[in-house]
Amino acid sequence: MTLTFERPTETVVSATVESLRATYGERTVTTHAVREQHSHGEGMQDAGLPDVVVFPESNEEIASILKLCNQARIPVIAYGTGTSLEGHLKALYGGVCLDLSRMAKVLEINAEDLDCRVQAGVTREQLNLDIRHTGLFFPIDPGANASIGGMSATRASGTNAVRYGTMRENILGLTVVTPDGRIIRTGTRARKSSAGYDLTRLYIGSEGTLGIITEIQLKLYGVPERVSAAVCQFDDLREAVNAVITAMQLGIPMARIELLDEVQMKASIQYSKLEGFEPRPTLFMEFHGTDAYVAEQIEQMKSITADFGGSDYRFADKQEDRTKLWKARHDAYWAGMNYIPGKQAFSTDTCVPISRLADSVMAAKAEVAKSGLVCMIVGHVGDGNFHVLITFDPNSSDERNRAELAADRIAHIAIGMGGTCTGEHGIGIHKLEVLKVEHGEGVDVMRTIKQALDPHNIMNPGKTIPMQ
Amino acid sequence: MCLTSYEQIMIEHWQSQIKAAAAKGAKLAIRGSGSKAFCGPVANGEIIDTREHVGIVEYEPNELVIVVRCGTRIADVEKAMADAGQMLAFEPPHFGEHATIGGMVASGLSGPRRPYAGALRDFVLGCKVLDGKGDHLSFGGKVMKNVAGFDVSRLLTGSQGTLGVITEVAFKCLPVPKAQQTRVFEFDAQTAIERMNRWYGEANPITATTWVGGKLYVRLAGAAPAVQSAAANLGGEALAIDADWWRNWREQKHEFFAGDQPLIRLACKSTAAWSDLASNAEQQAIDWGGAQRWLRASAAQLPAVRAWAKTQGGHAGIFRGANSEAERSEPLQTALAAVQAKIKASFDPYQVFSSL
Repeated sequence: MTLTFERPTETVVSATVESLRATYGERTVTTHAVREQHSHGEGMQDAGLPDVVVFPESNEEIASILKLCNQARIPVIAYGTGTSLEGHLKALYGGVCLDLSRMAKVLEINAEDLDCRVQAGVTREQLNLDIRHTGLFFPIDPGANASIGGMSATRASGTNAVRYGTMRENILGLTVVTPDGRIIRTGTRARKSSAGYDLTRLYIGSEGTLGIITEIQLKLYGVPERVSAAVCQFDDLREAVNAVITAMQLGIPMARIELLDEVQMKASIQYSKLEGFEPRPTLFMEFHGTDAYVAEQIEQMKSITADFGGSDYRFADKQEDRTKLWKARHDAYWAGMNYIPGKQAFSTDTCVPISRLADSVMAAKAEVAKSGLVCMIVGHVGDGNFHVLITFDPNSSDERNRAELAADRIAHIAIGMGGTCTGEHGIGIHKLEVLKVEHGEGVDVMRTIKQALDPHNIMNPGKTIPMQ
Repeated sequence: MCLTSYEQIMIEHWQSQIKAAAAKGAKLAIRGSGSKAFCGPVANGEIIDTREHVGIVEYEPNELVIVVRCGTRIADVEKAMADAGQMLAFEPPHFGEHATIGGMVASGLSGPRRPYAGALRDFVLGCKVLDGKGDHLSFGGKVMKNVAGFDVSRLLTGSQGTLGVITEVAFKCLPVPKAQQTRVFEFDAQTAIERMNRWYGEANPITATTWVGGKLYVRLAGAAPAVQSAAANLGGEALAIDADWWRNWREQKHEFFAGDQPLIRLACKSTAAWSDLASNAEQQAIDWGGAQRWLRASAAQLPAVRAWAKTQGGHAGIFRGANSEAERSEPLQTALAAVQAKIKASFDPYQVFSSL
C-alpha cells in the first residue's frame, strides 16, 4: 500500500484559517516571520512553511482543531521548542502548526511515587526547576532545552541514557489527541499497564504522525548523594572506544560516558575555552550514587582506562565545574560550526551493537577521510550511539554531495553491523530511504498502522514512514 | 543440514498454515508449552506449535545481546546466559519447566526485579513476527537505542498471540551482580509500603521488595561494598539461600499462592496506602515496591477491589482462576478500544489469530 496526500484547494485552506481565527483570535498567527520560525528545527534549514500557527491552551481546543483539520484534510504539525534535527517541522504541504508553548503546566508532582504529570509544552529545564525542592530530578538530557512533548514524540535520549534509559523507558502514560478529535489516555500510574496493546510505546517516537501528545506521566529519580564528573584523554581513538566497551561489558553503572575525537576536542577547546586539555580523543564521564559506590566506580574506570592508555584524569565534583564541562559537551555542534566559519553541517546518528562500536567508529573515520571534508565525532558511546558532524560549503554542490554520500555510507555500514541509521534523532524527512533498507517489508506494517490511525494522513504527513 | 534451511522450512510451513487459514476464514491458536495459557485470552483453532522453532541464533556475551527463536525454553536461555555471567534482568516468571521465550514475550510478564531494572519490554531490542497475512517481518534490531520508525517490537510485547507469531527476539543482556543479599523485616503492611518507597527513593541498590505473611523481604544487589553498606543501613535479618526464596516467589510456588481460591492481581501507584481488601492480612501480599498487590479472594469481591484500584491510579483482574475475559482484565475506554481494534486489523486483517 501507499500513503498519499493532496493539498486541499486554497479556498479550503483559507476558510480553515479564518475559522481558526474566529475561534482563537490573536492566538492564530499568519505572519511570515512566525510561520518561518515554526518551519524548522536546529538541523538543516528546509523550506516549507505552515499556513498558520495556532497556540492552543487545552486538550479540548486541540481536539476541536484536529476535528476541523481532519474534515478539511489540512495537515497538522506539532511544535515544542523547535530543536528537532531531521526536518520534522517542515510543512511539506503547508497546514496548521500547533505551537504547544501555552500548554506548559506541571500538572502533578507525586514526590513519594517518583512520578509527575506534565503538559507537552513544559521544557525539561523548567521541569527540573519545578521539582528541585523535592530532591528529585528528571534525567533525560538531549542537550537542547527541548519540550517534554517533543522529546516524547521523538523518543529522545541524550547523555544520561546509558544509566537512566531514554524517553521510552521513562514514560508511564500519555494523553493523546487522535486525528478524529478524540482524547485518549494510555497507560496508568500503575507500573503494569492495563489490558491491550502498549499504545504508550507506539505513540512515543511516532514524530507527530499518529496524534498529538498533550500530557505525559514521567518517572522521576532521587538526586544522587554524590555526582562526580571526570575527563580522561587518550592517544588513540580506537583505544578510547575499547575502554568504553570494556566498562559496559563489566556493567559499571556510568551515568554518562561521552566520546569526543581529536578534531571535536580542538573545536571545543577553542569554543568552550577548556583549559589544560589537548586536542586528543577524550572521554567525558559522570558517576552517580552513594559516596562509597561512586568511589568504587571511579577506581574501576581508572583501572580500565589505564589498560587502554588513558591518562590525565581530571575530576569535577563541584556543580559549577561539572556544568562547564557538560556545557562544553552539549555545545559540540556550535563548536564545530564555529571551527570553520561559513560552513553548514549535519550530523549522522548511527547506533551499533556495543562490540562493533570501535569498528564502526573507525569505519566512519575512514569514510570521513575519503570525503575530504572536515568532520568531527562526538557520541553517547556507552549506548553504541555516535554522531559524525560533517561540515560542507553550502554554496558548493560538490561538497554537499560528498557530505551526503559520506553520511549515507556511514548509515549503511552501521546497518550492515546489525545497527540502526538513527539512535535518537529520528527519521523525519531525511532518513526515509534508509528506513526502508533497515526494516524492509516491516515498513508496510508501519504504513498500515499509520493509515489505520490517521486515515486522511493529516498528522505530519510525509514524515517518519515513507509514503511508498 | 544447515540451520538457515531449517529456519526457512519452519517459517514457510507456518506461512502456508497462516495463508490457508486466512483464505478459508479459519482460526489459528499460537501455542508454546501452554505454561501461561491460564492468564491469557482463550485461543481456538488449529495449533501453531512454537516449540518447533528452537535455538539460540546468536549469543556473543561481549555484545550484551542474545537472539533467540520463539520455541526455545526460557530455562535454556537463562542457563546459557548464566554460564557467561549474564541474565535476563526482568526476571521472567516461567510458570512451567518448558516455558518458551515466545510465550514469555507474548504474555509480557516480568518478575520481582521489574520496578528496579525495567520491564520485559525494556529489554526487547527487536523481533521477527509472522503477521496475519503470513508475511515474515523484522522490527527493531540489536542495538540499545533505535528510533527508526514506529516502535513495533514493543507493540508485540504483551500482545498475547493476537497480532502474529513472534518467531525470534533479540534481548538486551545485563551482567549478574557481583553480590546479592536479602534482608528480612517484621513489619505490618503499611510500614512495609512506606519503607519500600522510602528506601528506593534513597538510591539503595534494591532489586526486589515483597511483603508477605507479615514480613518484608528486600533484596540488595550490586557491587559488594554497595550491598554491604546498604545492608548495614537498612538493618533487618539476613535471609539464608535467598535465591531460592525469590525463585519460589516469582514462580508462585510460595505458600501464599497455594490452594484453589482465585488470585487477584492489582496494579496501583506504589505508595497507595494499605487497604484491607481481603478478609485478613494473610490473604494479601505486596510486591514491586508497593506497585503490585496480590489477593486471595473470591470473584464476588472483584468489583470492590477494582473500585479501590481505580482510586489508586490502577486496575485489577483475576490472574489465576478467572471464569471470563471480563474477570481477567478491565474493559478499555471506548476511544482506546477503537485504536486497539485498528492495530489488531493492521496486523491480522483476516482475524486468523485470537482476539484480545
